[in-house]
Amino acid sequence: MGILAVLWEKWTEFKRDFYKITVAALVSPLLYLIVFGFGIQTTSHGEPYLNFLIPGIVSMATMTGSFSAVAQNMSVQRLYEKALDQVMISPTPLWQFIVGQIIGGSLRGLYAGCMILLLTSPIRTGLIFNGWTFLIMFLNGMVFSTFALVLSFLAKSYTDAPRYNAYLIVPMSFLCNTFFSIDQMPGGFRQFINALPLSQASGMIRAISANGSLDGLFVTGEYPYGWAGLLILLAYLVVFSLLSFVFIYKKKNL
Amino acid sequence: MIELKDLTKKFGEQTAVDHVNLTIETGEFFGLLGPNGAGKTTTISMLSTVLLPTAGEILLDGKPLTRRASAEKRKISVITQEFSMRQDMTVQEVMEYQGRLYYMKKAEIREKTEQLLTFTDLIDHRKKTVRYLSGGMKRKLMVCRGLMTDPDVLLLDEPTAGMDAIARRQMWALLRRINNRKMTIILTTHYMEEAEALCDRVALINKGKLGEVDSPAALIDALGKYAVDLVTEDDTKSVYFKTREEAIAYLETIPSEAAAGSADAASKAHASLRNTTLEDVFVERIGRRLTVR
Repeated sequence: MGILAVLWEKWTEFKRDFYKITVAALVSPLLYLIVFGFGIQTTSHGEPYLNFLIPGIVSMATMTGSFSAVAQNMSVQRLYEKALDQVMISPTPLWQFIVGQIIGGSLRGLYAGCMILLLTSPIRTGLIFNGWTFLIMFLNGMVFSTFALVLSFLAKSYTDAPRYNAYLIVPMSFLCNTFFSIDQMPGGFRQFINALPLSQASGMIRAISANGSLDGLFVTGEYPYGWAGLLILLAYLVVFSLLSFVFIYKKKNL
Repeated sequence: MIELKDLTKKFGEQTAVDHVNLTIETGEFFGLLGPNGAGKTTTISMLSTVLLPTAGEILLDGKPLTRRASAEKRKISVITQEFSMRQDMTVQEVMEYQGRLYYMKKAEIREKTEQLLTFTDLIDHRKKTVRYLSGGMKRKLMVCRGLMTDPDVLLLDEPTAGMDAIARRQMWALLRRINNRKMTIILTTHYMEEAEALCDRVALINKGKLGEVDSPAALIDALGKYAVDLVTEDDTKSVYFKTREEAIAYLETIPSEAAAGSADAASKAHASLRNTTLEDVFVERIGRRLTVR
Protein backbone atom coordinates (compact mmCIF):
# COMPACT_ATOMS: atom_id res chain seq x y z
CA MET A 1 0.00 0.00 0.00
CA GLY A 2 1.59 3.24 -1.18
CA ILE A 3 -0.12 5.25 1.55
CA LEU A 4 1.82 3.27 4.16
CA ALA A 5 5.10 3.90 2.33
CA VAL A 6 4.47 7.66 2.49
CA LEU A 7 3.42 7.45 6.13
CA TRP A 8 6.59 5.47 6.88
CA GLU A 9 8.61 8.25 5.22
CA LYS A 10 6.80 10.86 7.33
CA TRP A 11 7.33 8.81 10.48
CA THR A 12 11.05 8.48 9.71
CA GLU A 13 11.24 12.24 9.28
CA PHE A 14 9.31 12.80 12.51
CA LYS A 15 11.58 10.51 14.53
CA ARG A 16 14.71 12.10 13.12
CA ASP A 17 13.59 15.70 13.62
CA PHE A 18 11.47 15.12 16.72
CA TYR A 19 12.93 17.96 18.80
CA LYS A 20 13.02 20.44 15.94
CA ILE A 21 9.44 19.63 14.96
CA THR A 22 8.20 19.84 18.53
CA VAL A 23 9.93 23.11 19.32
CA ALA A 24 8.80 24.67 16.02
CA ALA A 25 5.22 23.60 16.72
CA LEU A 26 5.24 25.09 20.20
CA VAL A 27 7.17 28.35 20.09
CA SER A 28 4.63 30.66 18.41
CA PRO A 29 1.48 29.23 20.03
CA LEU A 30 3.08 29.37 23.47
CA LEU A 31 4.16 32.96 22.95
CA TYR A 32 0.62 33.88 21.94
CA LEU A 33 -0.77 32.11 24.98
CA ILE A 34 1.65 33.84 27.32
CA VAL A 35 1.28 37.31 25.81
CA PHE A 36 -2.44 37.37 25.07
CA GLY A 37 -3.70 34.77 27.50
CA PHE A 38 -1.72 35.49 30.63
CA GLY A 39 -0.11 38.87 29.96
CA ILE A 40 -3.19 40.74 28.81
CA GLN A 41 -5.89 39.24 30.98
CA THR A 42 -9.36 40.16 29.90
CA THR A 43 -12.73 38.62 29.18
CA SER A 44 -14.54 37.72 25.98
CA HIS A 45 -18.26 36.93 25.69
CA GLY A 46 -18.41 36.99 29.46
CA GLU A 47 -15.75 34.30 29.80
CA PRO A 48 -12.04 34.59 30.63
CA TYR A 49 -10.23 35.45 27.40
CA LEU A 50 -8.09 32.34 27.82
CA ASN A 51 -11.22 30.24 27.19
CA PHE A 52 -11.64 31.99 23.87
CA LEU A 53 -7.95 31.91 23.05
CA ILE A 54 -7.04 28.26 23.72
CA PRO A 55 -9.38 26.73 21.08
CA GLY A 56 -8.13 29.35 18.58
CA ILE A 57 -4.49 28.56 19.34
CA VAL A 58 -5.16 24.82 19.06
CA SER A 59 -6.73 25.32 15.60
CA MET A 60 -3.89 27.58 14.55
CA ALA A 61 -1.25 25.08 15.73
CA THR A 62 -3.04 22.33 13.80
CA MET A 63 -3.05 24.48 10.69
CA THR A 64 0.60 25.57 10.82
CA GLY A 65 1.80 22.10 11.85
CA SER A 66 0.08 20.43 8.90
CA PHE A 67 0.89 23.13 6.40
CA SER A 68 4.58 23.30 7.19
CA ALA A 69 4.90 19.50 7.31
CA VAL A 70 3.81 19.30 3.67
CA ALA A 71 4.59 22.63 1.98
CA GLN A 72 8.28 22.92 2.76
CA ASN A 73 8.91 19.22 2.38
CA MET A 74 7.13 18.81 -0.96
CA SER A 75 8.60 21.96 -2.48
CA VAL A 76 12.12 20.86 -1.60
CA GLN A 77 11.47 17.30 -2.79
CA ARG A 78 9.98 18.46 -6.07
CA LEU A 79 12.18 21.39 -6.97
CA TYR A 80 15.47 21.01 -5.12
CA GLU A 81 16.17 17.39 -4.22
CA LYS A 82 14.08 16.06 -7.13
CA ALA A 83 13.15 13.23 -4.77
CA LEU A 84 9.61 13.32 -6.12
CA ASP A 85 10.96 11.67 -9.29
CA GLN A 86 11.46 8.50 -7.23
CA VAL A 87 7.76 8.47 -6.45
CA MET A 88 6.63 9.40 -9.96
CA ILE A 89 8.34 6.43 -11.58
CA SER A 90 7.39 3.98 -8.85
CA PRO A 91 4.31 1.76 -9.21
CA THR A 92 2.73 3.42 -6.18
CA PRO A 93 -0.48 4.98 -7.53
CA LEU A 94 -0.09 8.72 -7.32
CA TRP A 95 -3.45 9.16 -5.58
CA GLN A 96 -2.08 7.03 -2.76
CA PHE A 97 0.95 9.28 -2.55
CA ILE A 98 -1.36 12.29 -2.24
CA VAL A 99 -3.54 10.61 0.38
CA GLY A 100 -0.40 9.59 2.31
CA GLN A 101 0.81 13.18 2.28
CA ILE A 102 -2.57 14.47 3.47
CA ILE A 103 -2.83 11.97 6.32
CA GLY A 104 0.83 12.38 7.29
CA GLY A 105 0.56 16.17 7.27
CA SER A 106 -2.64 16.06 9.23
CA LEU A 107 -1.10 13.83 11.89
CA ARG A 108 1.69 16.35 12.30
CA GLY A 109 -0.92 19.09 12.77
CA LEU A 110 -2.76 16.90 15.24
CA TYR A 111 0.48 16.40 17.14
CA ALA A 112 1.06 20.17 17.31
CA GLY A 113 -2.51 20.77 18.52
CA CYS A 114 -2.27 18.00 21.09
CA MET A 115 0.93 19.49 22.48
CA ILE A 116 -0.93 22.76 23.10
CA LEU A 117 -3.77 20.88 24.77
CA LEU A 118 -1.26 19.02 26.92
CA LEU A 119 0.55 22.17 27.95
CA THR A 120 -2.64 24.04 28.79
CA SER A 121 -4.24 21.09 30.57
CA PRO A 122 -3.02 22.18 34.05
CA ILE A 123 -4.91 25.48 33.64
CA ARG A 124 -8.40 25.26 35.12
CA THR A 125 -10.52 26.61 32.28
CA GLY A 126 -13.46 24.21 32.33
CA LEU A 127 -13.05 23.77 28.57
CA ILE A 128 -14.12 20.43 27.12
CA PHE A 129 -11.90 18.61 24.64
CA ASN A 130 -13.17 15.29 23.40
CA GLY A 131 -13.25 13.05 20.33
CA TRP A 132 -15.05 15.73 18.35
CA THR A 133 -12.21 18.15 19.07
CA PHE A 134 -9.68 15.69 17.68
CA LEU A 135 -11.86 15.02 14.67
CA ILE A 136 -12.01 18.74 13.84
CA MET A 137 -8.27 19.09 14.44
CA PHE A 138 -7.59 16.17 12.12
CA LEU A 139 -9.95 17.50 9.47
CA ASN A 140 -8.46 20.98 9.73
CA GLY A 141 -5.02 19.41 9.36
CA MET A 142 -6.17 17.52 6.27
CA VAL A 143 -7.48 20.72 4.69
CA PHE A 144 -4.21 22.56 5.24
CA SER A 145 -2.03 19.59 4.19
CA THR A 146 -3.95 19.47 0.94
CA PHE A 147 -3.73 23.23 0.56
CA ALA A 148 0.04 22.92 1.05
CA LEU A 149 0.17 20.21 -1.62
CA VAL A 150 -1.62 22.43 -4.13
CA LEU A 151 0.71 25.33 -3.41
CA SER A 152 3.81 23.18 -3.60
CA PHE A 153 2.73 21.94 -7.04
CA LEU A 154 2.32 25.57 -8.09
CA ALA A 155 5.67 26.63 -6.63
CA LYS A 156 8.31 27.68 -9.13
CA SER A 157 11.12 27.61 -6.58
CA TYR A 158 11.56 25.80 -3.27
CA THR A 159 11.88 29.21 -1.62
CA ASP A 160 8.22 29.85 -2.49
CA ALA A 161 7.07 27.78 0.52
CA PRO A 162 8.12 30.39 3.12
CA ARG A 163 6.45 33.05 0.95
CA TYR A 164 3.18 31.16 0.91
CA ASN A 165 3.48 30.92 4.64
CA ALA A 166 4.01 34.66 4.98
CA TYR A 167 1.27 35.65 2.52
CA LEU A 168 -1.43 33.14 3.41
CA ILE A 169 -0.86 31.26 6.63
CA VAL A 170 0.32 34.09 8.86
CA PRO A 171 -2.63 36.38 7.98
CA MET A 172 -5.05 33.51 8.53
CA SER A 173 -3.41 32.77 11.89
CA PHE A 174 -4.33 36.22 13.12
CA LEU A 175 -7.59 36.93 11.35
CA CYS A 176 -9.50 33.64 11.34
CA ASN A 177 -11.38 33.60 14.60
CA THR A 178 -8.28 32.66 16.58
CA PHE A 179 -7.42 35.68 18.74
CA PHE A 180 -10.64 37.61 18.46
CA SER A 181 -14.17 37.17 17.24
CA ILE A 182 -14.68 38.31 13.68
CA ASP A 183 -17.87 40.24 14.61
CA GLN A 184 -16.16 43.60 14.51
CA MET A 185 -14.85 43.18 10.99
CA PRO A 186 -16.41 45.21 8.17
CA GLY A 187 -19.25 43.59 6.19
CA GLY A 188 -17.91 41.78 3.11
CA PHE A 189 -14.53 41.12 4.66
CA ARG A 190 -16.21 39.48 7.65
CA GLN A 191 -18.13 37.05 5.43
CA PHE A 192 -14.96 36.25 3.52
CA ILE A 193 -12.94 35.57 6.68
CA ASN A 194 -15.74 33.49 8.12
CA ALA A 195 -15.78 31.29 5.05
CA LEU A 196 -12.10 30.39 5.49
CA PRO A 197 -11.39 26.94 6.94
CA LEU A 198 -9.48 28.13 9.99
CA SER A 199 -12.39 30.36 11.08
CA GLN A 200 -14.66 27.35 10.92
CA ALA A 201 -12.23 25.05 12.70
CA SER A 202 -11.65 27.59 15.48
CA GLY A 203 -15.39 28.17 15.82
CA MET A 204 -16.17 24.47 15.99
CA ILE A 205 -13.41 23.64 18.49
CA ARG A 206 -14.62 26.59 20.59
CA ALA A 207 -18.22 25.34 20.35
CA ILE A 208 -17.18 21.86 21.46
CA SER A 209 -15.01 23.25 24.27
CA ALA A 210 -18.05 25.17 25.56
CA ASN A 211 -20.79 22.60 25.00
CA GLY A 212 -19.10 19.24 24.61
CA SER A 213 -20.55 18.72 21.15
CA LEU A 214 -21.54 20.53 18.00
CA ASP A 215 -25.23 20.09 18.80
CA GLY A 216 -25.28 23.04 21.12
CA LEU A 217 -24.24 25.89 18.88
CA PHE A 218 -21.61 28.30 19.98
CA VAL A 219 -22.66 31.68 18.67
CA THR A 220 -20.34 34.65 18.30
CA GLY A 221 -22.27 37.61 16.93
CA GLU A 222 -24.22 36.51 13.91
CA TYR A 223 -22.20 33.33 13.39
CA PRO A 224 -23.20 30.00 14.83
CA TYR A 225 -20.50 27.33 14.57
CA GLY A 226 -22.03 23.91 14.28
CA TRP A 227 -22.31 21.01 11.90
CA ALA A 228 -22.21 23.30 8.86
CA GLY A 229 -18.56 23.97 9.68
CA LEU A 230 -17.78 20.29 9.11
CA LEU A 231 -19.35 20.50 5.66
CA ILE A 232 -17.33 23.63 4.87
CA LEU A 233 -14.07 21.91 5.88
CA LEU A 234 -15.04 18.85 3.85
CA ALA A 235 -15.77 21.06 0.84
CA TYR A 236 -12.30 22.61 1.09
CA LEU A 237 -10.78 19.16 1.45
CA VAL A 238 -12.56 17.86 -1.65
CA VAL A 239 -11.62 20.90 -3.77
CA PHE A 240 -7.95 20.94 -2.73
CA SER A 241 -7.70 17.14 -3.09
CA LEU A 242 -9.13 17.27 -6.60
CA LEU A 243 -6.67 20.03 -7.49
CA SER A 244 -3.80 17.93 -6.11
CA PHE A 245 -4.89 14.92 -8.17
CA VAL A 246 -5.18 17.05 -11.29
CA PHE A 247 -1.70 18.45 -10.73
CA ILE A 248 0.01 15.14 -10.06
CA TYR A 249 -1.69 13.30 -12.90
CA LYS A 250 -2.01 16.05 -15.50
CA LYS A 251 0.68 18.66 -14.87
CA LYS A 252 2.98 18.38 -17.87
CA ASN A 253 6.17 19.44 -16.10
CA LEU A 254 6.32 18.33 -12.50
CA MET B 1 10.40 -3.49 -25.91
CA ILE B 2 10.17 0.27 -25.65
CA GLU B 3 8.69 2.31 -28.46
CA LEU B 4 8.79 6.08 -28.71
CA LYS B 5 6.18 7.14 -31.21
CA ASP B 6 6.36 10.66 -32.57
CA LEU B 7 7.46 11.77 -29.11
CA THR B 8 7.48 15.54 -28.78
CA LYS B 9 8.07 17.83 -25.84
CA LYS B 10 7.79 21.58 -25.95
CA PHE B 11 8.55 24.09 -23.23
CA GLY B 12 6.70 27.16 -24.40
CA GLU B 13 8.01 27.97 -27.85
CA GLN B 14 11.10 25.82 -27.44
CA THR B 15 10.96 22.25 -28.75
CA ALA B 16 13.15 20.05 -26.55
CA VAL B 17 12.23 16.73 -28.20
CA ASP B 18 11.00 16.85 -31.75
CA HIS B 19 8.92 13.97 -33.17
CA VAL B 20 11.26 11.20 -32.04
CA ASN B 21 10.51 7.69 -33.29
CA LEU B 22 12.59 4.92 -31.80
CA THR B 23 12.32 1.26 -30.86
CA ILE B 24 14.54 -0.29 -28.20
CA GLU B 25 14.52 -4.05 -27.99
CA THR B 26 14.27 -6.04 -24.77
CA GLY B 27 17.71 -6.69 -23.27
CA GLU B 28 19.37 -4.04 -25.39
CA PHE B 29 21.96 -1.62 -23.99
CA PHE B 30 21.01 1.56 -25.76
CA GLY B 31 22.85 4.88 -25.71
CA LEU B 32 21.38 8.31 -26.29
CA LEU B 33 24.15 10.69 -27.27
CA GLY B 34 23.93 14.40 -27.75
CA PRO B 35 25.40 17.70 -26.67
CA ASN B 36 24.06 19.71 -23.75
CA GLY B 37 20.47 20.72 -24.36
CA ALA B 38 19.98 18.06 -27.04
CA GLY B 39 16.91 16.60 -25.34
CA LYS B 40 18.43 13.51 -23.69
CA THR B 41 17.36 14.26 -20.14
CA THR B 42 13.95 15.44 -21.34
CA THR B 43 13.50 12.08 -23.08
CA ILE B 44 14.50 10.20 -19.91
CA SER B 45 12.14 12.40 -17.88
CA MET B 46 9.29 11.47 -20.21
CA LEU B 47 10.23 7.80 -19.92
CA SER B 48 10.04 8.17 -16.15
CA THR B 49 6.72 10.09 -16.50
CA VAL B 50 8.03 13.10 -14.57
CA LEU B 51 7.39 15.06 -17.77
CA LEU B 52 4.39 14.36 -19.95
CA PRO B 53 4.84 14.53 -23.73
CA THR B 54 3.31 17.43 -25.64
CA ALA B 55 2.54 14.94 -28.40
CA GLY B 56 3.22 11.31 -29.19
CA GLU B 57 3.45 8.39 -26.80
CA ILE B 58 5.70 5.86 -25.17
CA LEU B 59 4.84 2.17 -25.26
CA LEU B 60 6.36 -0.39 -22.96
CA ASP B 61 5.75 -3.95 -24.15
CA GLY B 62 2.95 -2.56 -26.29
CA LYS B 63 1.19 -0.70 -23.47
CA PRO B 64 1.15 3.08 -23.03
CA LEU B 65 3.51 4.32 -20.34
CA THR B 66 1.57 6.94 -18.40
CA ARG B 67 1.48 8.17 -14.82
CA ARG B 68 -1.43 5.83 -14.16
CA ALA B 69 0.29 2.74 -15.61
CA SER B 70 1.43 1.17 -12.33
CA ALA B 71 2.07 -2.26 -13.87
CA GLU B 72 4.34 -0.76 -16.53
CA LYS B 73 6.07 1.55 -14.08
CA ARG B 74 6.84 -1.47 -11.89
CA LYS B 75 9.19 -2.64 -14.65
CA ILE B 76 11.21 0.58 -14.74
CA SER B 77 13.87 2.10 -12.57
CA VAL B 78 15.59 5.38 -13.19
CA ILE B 79 18.96 6.69 -12.16
CA THR B 80 18.77 10.39 -12.74
CA GLN B 81 21.56 12.83 -13.46
CA GLU B 82 20.90 14.64 -10.20
CA PHE B 83 21.00 12.89 -6.86
CA SER B 84 17.24 12.70 -6.75
CA MET B 85 16.69 11.43 -3.24
CA ARG B 86 15.95 12.73 0.22
CA GLN B 87 19.20 14.26 1.41
CA ASP B 88 18.17 13.94 5.05
CA MET B 89 17.59 10.19 4.93
CA THR B 90 20.24 7.61 5.70
CA VAL B 91 21.50 5.25 3.01
CA GLN B 92 19.44 2.45 4.53
CA GLU B 93 16.30 4.58 4.67
CA VAL B 94 16.65 5.56 1.01
CA MET B 95 16.75 1.88 0.12
CA GLU B 96 13.83 1.01 2.38
CA TYR B 97 11.67 3.82 1.00
CA GLN B 98 12.35 2.58 -2.52
CA GLY B 99 11.41 -0.96 -1.51
CA ARG B 100 8.22 0.23 0.13
CA LEU B 101 7.21 2.28 -2.90
CA TYR B 102 7.57 -0.91 -4.95
CA TYR B 103 5.57 -3.03 -2.48
CA MET B 104 8.52 -5.22 -1.53
CA LYS B 105 8.30 -7.31 1.62
CA LYS B 106 10.37 -6.21 4.63
CA ALA B 107 12.60 -9.29 4.55
CA GLU B 108 13.18 -8.84 0.84
CA ILE B 109 14.06 -5.17 1.35
CA ARG B 110 16.57 -6.08 4.06
CA GLU B 111 18.17 -8.85 2.00
CA LYS B 112 18.39 -6.81 -1.18
CA THR B 113 19.73 -3.74 0.63
CA GLU B 114 22.46 -5.80 2.27
CA GLN B 115 23.36 -7.43 -1.02
CA LEU B 116 23.51 -4.22 -3.08
CA LEU B 117 25.29 -2.12 -0.48
CA THR B 118 27.89 -4.85 -0.07
CA PHE B 119 28.26 -5.11 -3.82
CA THR B 120 28.96 -1.38 -4.10
CA ASP B 121 31.06 -1.08 -0.93
CA LEU B 122 28.49 1.15 0.74
CA ILE B 123 27.60 -1.30 3.48
CA ASP B 124 29.79 0.46 6.07
CA HIS B 125 28.05 3.75 5.27
CA ARG B 126 24.48 2.51 5.57
CA LYS B 127 23.72 4.61 8.61
CA LYS B 128 25.18 7.78 7.08
CA THR B 129 22.90 10.59 6.01
CA VAL B 130 22.89 11.07 2.24
CA ARG B 131 24.04 14.68 2.41
CA TYR B 132 27.27 13.58 4.08
CA LEU B 133 28.20 11.10 1.34
CA SER B 134 30.74 11.96 -1.34
CA GLY B 135 29.52 12.48 -4.92
CA GLY B 136 30.78 9.04 -5.95
CA MET B 137 29.02 7.37 -3.03
CA LYS B 138 25.77 9.16 -3.83
CA ARG B 139 26.08 7.96 -7.42
CA LYS B 140 26.58 4.39 -6.20
CA LEU B 141 23.60 4.73 -3.92
CA MET B 142 21.51 5.88 -6.88
CA VAL B 143 22.55 2.71 -8.69
CA CYS B 144 21.73 0.55 -5.66
CA ARG B 145 18.33 2.19 -5.41
CA GLY B 146 17.75 1.68 -9.13
CA LEU B 147 18.59 -2.01 -8.88
CA MET B 148 16.70 -2.58 -5.65
CA THR B 149 13.52 -3.55 -7.44
CA ASP B 150 14.99 -5.84 -10.13
CA PRO B 151 13.67 -3.70 -12.98
CA ASP B 152 13.26 -4.92 -16.54
CA VAL B 153 14.24 -1.49 -17.82
CA LEU B 154 16.89 0.73 -16.31
CA LEU B 155 17.09 4.37 -17.35
CA LEU B 156 20.51 5.89 -16.72
CA ASP B 157 20.90 9.61 -17.15
CA GLU B 158 24.60 10.46 -17.11
CA PRO B 159 25.35 7.77 -14.51
CA THR B 160 29.08 8.47 -14.34
CA ALA B 161 28.96 12.26 -14.41
CA GLY B 162 31.51 13.65 -11.98
CA MET B 163 33.14 10.27 -11.31
CA ASP B 164 36.89 9.79 -11.50
CA ALA B 165 38.35 7.42 -14.11
CA ILE B 166 38.61 4.45 -11.73
CA ALA B 167 35.09 4.83 -10.35
CA ARG B 168 33.80 5.19 -13.91
CA ARG B 169 35.46 1.94 -14.96
CA GLN B 170 33.98 0.20 -11.91
CA MET B 171 30.56 1.52 -12.88
CA TRP B 172 30.99 0.21 -16.43
CA ALA B 173 31.84 -3.24 -15.09
CA LEU B 174 28.75 -3.11 -12.91
CA LEU B 175 26.52 -2.04 -15.80
CA ARG B 176 27.88 -4.80 -18.03
CA ARG B 177 27.08 -7.35 -15.36
CA ILE B 178 23.58 -5.99 -15.04
CA ASN B 179 23.03 -6.05 -18.77
CA ASN B 180 24.12 -9.71 -18.86
CA ARG B 181 20.92 -10.41 -16.93
CA LYS B 182 18.97 -9.24 -20.00
CA MET B 183 17.89 -6.00 -18.48
CA THR B 184 17.10 -3.30 -21.02
CA ILE B 185 19.31 -0.30 -20.33
CA ILE B 186 18.91 3.16 -21.78
CA LEU B 187 21.92 5.34 -21.13
CA THR B 188 22.51 9.01 -21.80
CA THR B 189 26.08 10.14 -21.58
CA HIS B 190 28.55 12.79 -22.56
CA TYR B 191 31.38 10.28 -22.49
CA MET B 192 31.68 8.76 -25.94
CA GLU B 193 34.10 6.08 -24.81
CA GLU B 194 31.46 5.04 -22.30
CA ALA B 195 28.83 4.61 -24.99
CA GLU B 196 31.34 2.84 -27.22
CA ALA B 197 32.35 0.48 -24.46
CA LEU B 198 28.86 -0.34 -23.24
CA CYS B 199 26.14 0.17 -25.82
CA ASP B 200 24.80 -2.28 -28.37
CA ARG B 201 23.29 0.62 -30.27
CA VAL B 202 23.40 4.36 -29.94
CA ALA B 203 21.24 7.19 -31.22
CA LEU B 204 22.55 10.65 -31.93
CA ILE B 205 20.24 13.38 -30.81
CA ASN B 206 20.65 17.09 -31.38
CA LYS B 207 18.26 19.99 -30.83
CA GLY B 208 15.58 17.45 -30.01
CA LYS B 209 15.83 15.64 -33.32
CA LEU B 210 16.97 12.07 -33.59
CA GLY B 211 19.83 11.45 -36.03
CA GLU B 212 21.48 8.19 -36.86
CA VAL B 213 20.70 5.08 -34.86
CA ASP B 214 23.08 2.16 -35.14
CA SER B 215 25.76 0.19 -33.33
CA PRO B 216 28.90 2.16 -32.46
CA ALA B 217 30.92 -0.06 -34.81
CA ALA B 218 28.53 0.52 -37.70
CA LEU B 219 28.55 4.27 -37.14
CA ILE B 220 32.35 4.29 -37.06
CA ASP B 221 32.50 2.15 -40.21
CA ALA B 222 30.17 4.51 -41.99
CA LEU B 223 32.42 7.45 -41.19
CA GLY B 224 35.66 5.54 -41.89
CA LYS B 225 37.57 3.34 -39.49
CA TYR B 226 40.78 5.35 -39.77
CA ALA B 227 41.29 9.00 -38.97
CA VAL B 228 44.12 11.30 -39.87
CA ASP B 229 44.42 14.33 -37.61
CA LEU B 230 46.04 17.28 -39.21
CA VAL B 231 47.06 19.84 -36.63
CA THR B 232 48.29 23.25 -37.65
CA GLU B 233 48.85 26.29 -35.52
CA ASP B 234 45.36 27.61 -36.06
CA ASP B 235 43.27 24.59 -36.96
CA THR B 236 42.73 20.93 -36.22
CA LYS B 237 41.15 18.82 -38.88
CA SER B 238 40.33 15.12 -39.01
CA VAL B 239 39.93 13.23 -42.25
CA TYR B 240 38.39 9.74 -42.28
CA PHE B 241 39.18 6.72 -44.44
CA LYS B 242 37.66 3.30 -44.97
CA THR B 243 41.03 1.54 -45.14
CA ARG B 244 44.40 1.99 -43.52
CA GLU B 245 46.05 2.12 -46.95
CA GLU B 246 43.94 5.08 -48.00
CA ALA B 247 44.78 6.86 -44.76
CA ILE B 248 48.52 6.25 -45.20
CA ALA B 249 48.36 7.45 -48.80
CA TYR B 250 46.69 10.64 -47.59
CA LEU B 251 49.30 11.09 -44.87
CA GLU B 252 52.01 11.08 -47.52
CA THR B 253 50.36 13.99 -49.27
CA ILE B 254 50.10 16.14 -46.20
CA PRO B 255 53.43 18.04 -46.22
CA SER B 256 52.82 19.35 -49.72
CA GLU B 257 49.16 20.15 -48.94
CA ALA B 258 50.16 22.11 -45.85
CA ALA B 259 52.92 23.85 -47.75
CA ALA B 260 50.38 25.06 -50.24
CA GLY B 261 48.85 27.17 -47.46
CA SER B 262 51.95 28.95 -46.25
CA ALA B 263 55.53 28.08 -45.56
CA ASP B 264 55.10 29.01 -41.92
CA ALA B 265 52.04 26.79 -41.46
CA ALA B 266 53.78 23.88 -43.12
CA SER B 267 56.70 24.12 -40.76
CA LYS B 268 54.37 23.85 -37.74
CA ALA B 269 51.86 21.29 -39.11
CA HIS B 270 51.89 17.71 -37.98
CA ALA B 271 49.66 14.78 -38.78
CA SER B 272 48.88 11.47 -37.15
CA LEU B 273 46.98 8.32 -37.97
CA ARG B 274 44.65 6.66 -35.50
CA ASN B 275 41.48 4.58 -35.25
CA THR B 276 38.21 6.48 -35.55
CA THR B 277 36.20 6.65 -32.36
CA LEU B 278 32.57 7.22 -31.59
CA GLU B 279 33.57 10.69 -30.49
CA ASP B 280 34.64 11.40 -34.08
CA VAL B 281 31.22 10.24 -35.29
CA PHE B 282 29.58 12.46 -32.69
CA VAL B 283 31.66 15.49 -33.61
CA GLU B 284 31.15 15.02 -37.33
CA ARG B 285 27.45 14.22 -37.20
CA ILE B 286 26.46 16.74 -34.58
CA GLY B 287 28.44 19.29 -36.52
CA ARG B 288 30.78 20.55 -33.85
CA ARG B 289 34.13 20.68 -35.56
CA LEU B 290 37.30 20.23 -33.62
CA THR B 291 38.32 23.72 -34.51
CA VAL B 292 40.56 25.72 -32.26
CA ARG B 293 40.39 29.43 -32.93
